[in-house]
Amino acid sequence: MQQLDSTTANPSDVAAGGGDFFGIPYGWPLALAIVALVIVMWIARQPMHRIVRQSFFFLGYMFARWGSALLDHGRRAREVTNEKIASQRADELQDRMLHLEEKMGKRTEQLARETGPILKKLDKATHELATSANAISDINLEDAAERAFRAALPSMESSRGLSKVEKNIAQNTARTMNERLAPLRPALITIRNESPRLKEVAEKLVKIEHDFNKNASDVNQAFSEFEEIVRSEDRKKIAARASIVVPWLIAVLITTIALAGVFLNFFLIERPMAEIVGEGARIGGIGLPTFAAIIVIFLEFVTGVILMDSAGFTRLIPAFHSMSANGRRVMLIVSFTFLALFSVMEMTLSIVREQIIEQDRETDRLAAQIIGPVLVAPASSVDAPAATDAAAPSQAPQRANVFGLELSTFAQLILAGVIPWLLAAAALPLETIIRNSVFIVSIFASFALIFLGFICRTISALFKNIGVFVLAIYDFIIFLPLFIQRYVQARRAGDAGSPRPRAKDDDFVLNDPAPPKAPKREKSRQSEPELEKAS
Amino acid sequence: MMRYLAGAACGLSLLALASCGLVTSTNRSVFFVFDVSGTYVKSVPDATKMANITIAKLLPGDWVGASQISACSFSEKEIILQRQLPTTPSLAAEGKRELFNEFAAYAAQVKSAKYTDIRGAIAQASFELKQRPEEKRFIVLFSDMLDDYSKSCDTSEIELDLKGIHVVAANVIKSDPADPQKYLDMLKEWEATVVAAGGTWSLVTSPDLLPKLVTGV
Repeated sequence: MQQLDSTTANPSDVAAGGGDFFGIPYGWPLALAIVALVIVMWIARQPMHRIVRQSFFFLGYMFARWGSALLDHGRRAREVTNEKIASQRADELQDRMLHLEEKMGKRTEQLARETGPILKKLDKATHELATSANAISDINLEDAAERAFRAALPSMESSRGLSKVEKNIAQNTARTMNERLAPLRPALITIRNESPRLKEVAEKLVKIEHDFNKNASDVNQAFSEFEEIVRSEDRKKIAARASIVVPWLIAVLITTIALAGVFLNFFLIERPMAEIVGEGARIGGIGLPTFAAIIVIFLEFVTGVILMDSAGFTRLIPAFHSMSANGRRVMLIVSFTFLALFSVMEMTLSIVREQIIEQDRETDRLAAQIIGPVLVAPASSVDAPAATDAAAPSQAPQRANVFGLELSTFAQLILAGVIPWLLAAAALPLETIIRNSVFIVSIFASFALIFLGFICRTISALFKNIGVFVLAIYDFIIFLPLFIQRYVQARRAGDAGSPRPRAKDDDFVLNDPAPPKAPKREKSRQSEPELEKAS
Repeated sequence: MMRYLAGAACGLSLLALASCGLVTSTNRSVFFVFDVSGTYVKSVPDATKMANITIAKLLPGDWVGASQISACSFSEKEIILQRQLPTTPSLAAEGKRELFNEFAAYAAQVKSAKYTDIRGAIAQASFELKQRPEEKRFIVLFSDMLDDYSKSCDTSEIELDLKGIHVVAANVIKSDPADPQKYLDMLKEWEATVVAAGGTWSLVTSPDLLPKLVTGV
């Protein structure tokens, strides 16, 4: 735009000077164009409004619909997930209850065997105590003392001095009392012996009762939780109570450690696998020995999964659930045997690996050594090429060995033997990972749907408001003719005596307020004209 | 039932087709060419040592050939050996040791030639390599790269076809230390010749670089 200098020139002069706006020269042509545009816009107001409304409001409406649908789907997905989590928790509790029930059943069988001797002992001890007590109660001490005293009298009469008499009385009474109380002693000994046994037996019985009560309490707790899960309407609360992430994280951690073992295993068997499958081919860009090693590891893992499932530790394979106990036992033995064979195979491969490394080292040494006329006999084994350098082995220091193997080879052997079993153990957390991953993905998916729904609704509000804003701007541009139009309409309406037409056919009012709702009391009064007539 | 069978058949066919494309070979063929003309014959033991070091790094299943540059090199008579290493590591190690012995025997009884038919030797090596199924093909030349053709066997004008072949010039000794430019020009000329014939060219000066270049390890 050109700067207008009011002191030296008028707009027309400046326009004549060459300035323009979209090809329209400044000054009166531009002013005329603006007026024309405003008039055109005023004339085209209604269709333009309709276009803007249809485009922006329609988009807003579409996004609102999508948002509602997504929110609805998200909430439903969450509900379904909650229901699945609750069902899964119920299944877990059911298993726990069955397990406890089984445990209690076995304990009951044991209890009959355990309590039989205890009760016999108790009966015997009680009987002996009762006999002793009877014996004690049968003895009349007063009578015994009197009899003892009387029995002592004749000997007392034969004595002369008073002191002797007293002494005799005491001695004779004591002896006689001792004789009379002699039958009482075994009973007292029996009481002394039987009391601790009785205490011990009673303690055993208390412990058994405590164990039983604990098991019963566990069963009750599991049952009440199970019942709550089955009956409760608040599925969200029930689902929130079941921990998903923590067991999942623990399982992932354990599996990661197991996978580290897999890598170790892979490097152990990759090279010697070339002795079995050969080298020179690639499958999908992976060398054949590498591919074979990966397959062996997968097979070991699958065997481990079957072993764990057939042993009843996991429930990954549905076929095992419906299988008979005998069938599962057969599968257990088969998978155990296969895993043992894999273990032996890996141990063998670890030795082969060492041999290959040794051979390669020897070949490299020979390659660097053989020059010119030095001839070497063809090697048939690892040890044969040593002939070319006979002095070397004798000079080499003796390495520590176990069962004729170097320590490192022996360590490899142990590792190779153990790793297949560790891989099998990795199947244990796999169940938790698979099951909880499904729940976690479901929850995230439901949240994603809800979030998308929220975004759609936000976009919807945005489109609607942009539409309103555009209409307002449009009307602001043509405010002058619009004002005149409204003024004229108001005048005409005033002349005719009719009330002013409202927003239905007046697009200028964008947000026509809704008519105020009548109070309920007024409504009820207005809706009964019959009563008015009657009165 | 028929639908299931048809589906299974289609699936298997697709799997078989995919498998065909998935399985590829990693083997390479390496052809060593020893120059026995003039004074270079004294370098043959060193050259065989370099060849041994390279062979030691080859993988099971790789193919090895060897010939010599003489007065008329484009001939089966000049071929020293051709052998494929077994595919298992232990047998391959034995095969490599046998090759070492053969090279040692060759280096012990090698005789000098009057002329240097390098072009004929390359053509011979290229011809042999073209028969091989391996995708990666190498010609390793142990020579001073100074050709000298006899009148009876002048191959200087023959056309070379080195498509898909990597030519490696190793142990190129400097015959005239007083004229480095001549040496460099000669190398450039050979590079241009190889590239023009569709091959690729490398110069190896250090013995440890040759196995790396050939095996990629």
